[in-house]
Amino acid sequence: MLVIVLENAPPRLRGRLAIWLLEIRAGVYVGNYSAKVRDHIWCQVEKGIENGNAVMAWKTNNEAGFDFVTLGTNRRIPLELDGTKLVSFLPVADNGEVL
Amino acid sequence: MTTPLLPPLKPIPIKERLSVLFIEKGHLDVLDGAFVVVDKTGVRTHVPIGGVACLMLEPGTRVSHAAASLAARVGTLLVWVGEAGVRLYSSGQPGGARADRLLYQAQLALDPGLRLKVVRKMYAVRFGEEPPARRSVEQLRGIEGARVREMYKRLAAKYNVNWKARNYDTSDWNKGDLPNRCLSAATACLYGVTEAAVLAAGYAPAVGFIHTGKPLSFVYDIADIYKFETVVSVAFGIAAKKPYNPEQAVRLGCRDIFRKSRLLERIIPDIEVILAAGEVTPPEPPEDAQPPAIPNPESLGDAGHRT
Repeated sequence: MLVIVLENAPPRLRGRLAIWLLEIRAGVYVGNYSAKVRDHIWCQVEKGIENGNAVMAWKTNNEAGFDFVTLGTNRRIPLELDGTKLVSFLPVADNGEVL
Repeated sequence: MTTPLLPPLKPIPIKERLSVLFIEKGHLDVLDGAFVVVDKTGVRTHVPIGGVACLMLEPGTRVSHAAASLAARVGTLLVWVGEAGVRLYSSGQPGGARADRLLYQAQLALDPGLRLKVVRKMYAVRFGEEPPARRSVEQLRGIEGARVREMYKRLAAKYNVNWKARNYDTSDWNKGDLPNRCLSAATACLYGVTEAAVLAAGYAPAVGFIHTGKPLSFVYDIADIYKFETVVSVAFGIAAKKPYNPEQAVRLGCRDIFRKSRLLERIIPDIEVILAAGEVTPPEPPEDAQPPAIPNPESLGDAGHRT
């Protein structure tokens, strides 16, 4: 199982991902592929993301049962805690800027 | 129209959870119903509290009332630990949500004959063979002690670790040698998940069979079954490599070995097998017992989880 979520991505990348994955909501892609194909798809995201940001999560054999990678800037930052990945959420300043 | 409310929170089974998460610093609180750790700069990190067996809180954490209450509602044990897992204080989900389990455990512990049967079963499960016949609990403890020292020596030799004896000073962490410190950090992880499982199964951590007189006697009894198979190998393997941050390496190793040995799936069924060695059925409720006026709600969690 593989899920990719795109934010602020150019239409050409969105169209490209739809070649392998099903876009079940705007910017949310799901599919079921091997590690090799997953890397291949993520490579396309890396090349095409421009100023947007992306996250990819997939089922794997660790304690949590899944893993994820991110690309681009987002208020949510992955945080590694002794082998388990959590997510930190950055606060916003009064002027709307991410601190 | 009334706003739709979310269904009530319930604990999920221990076997489906992550084993342990360590929180180093920050303020544990509840924001929008989620369990978060907020640091000094306002960065908040969501902790999937309901999907963890126990949360280990290191020095530098503060816990709000709402956070402790949420942890209890989803049946997650909060354990306050000192430097590298030397336990300071522990709380969270109190045991004994079901009196029938407690009475059963107490019945087995109070009767010398039944207690011996349970102790013999503990050794049989742990060492994979029946202990010699006609021995008292005291004698079995002596046999076990010798066997454990031998196992430490054997494992230390296997991992090429310089091993003298198990010794640790709870008041001065840095006094112990590296293998002992790794071992203390590793056993702390094991005790945490075992305590969470004992409570979830509905038993009392203090009512032990081999160990007695400590708040976690039963936890030590159960944890000893898995200790050599899991955390001792991990601790010695890491001590041999002399890493820069041994405590963290130990936690990573423990997490891996807990998953590989499917520890969380095994603890509760194993407790049942061991107590069943007493060959008594759990006590029936007394004849004059009244059923609860309001029936207990259905729960996804284990028997000792309160809903």
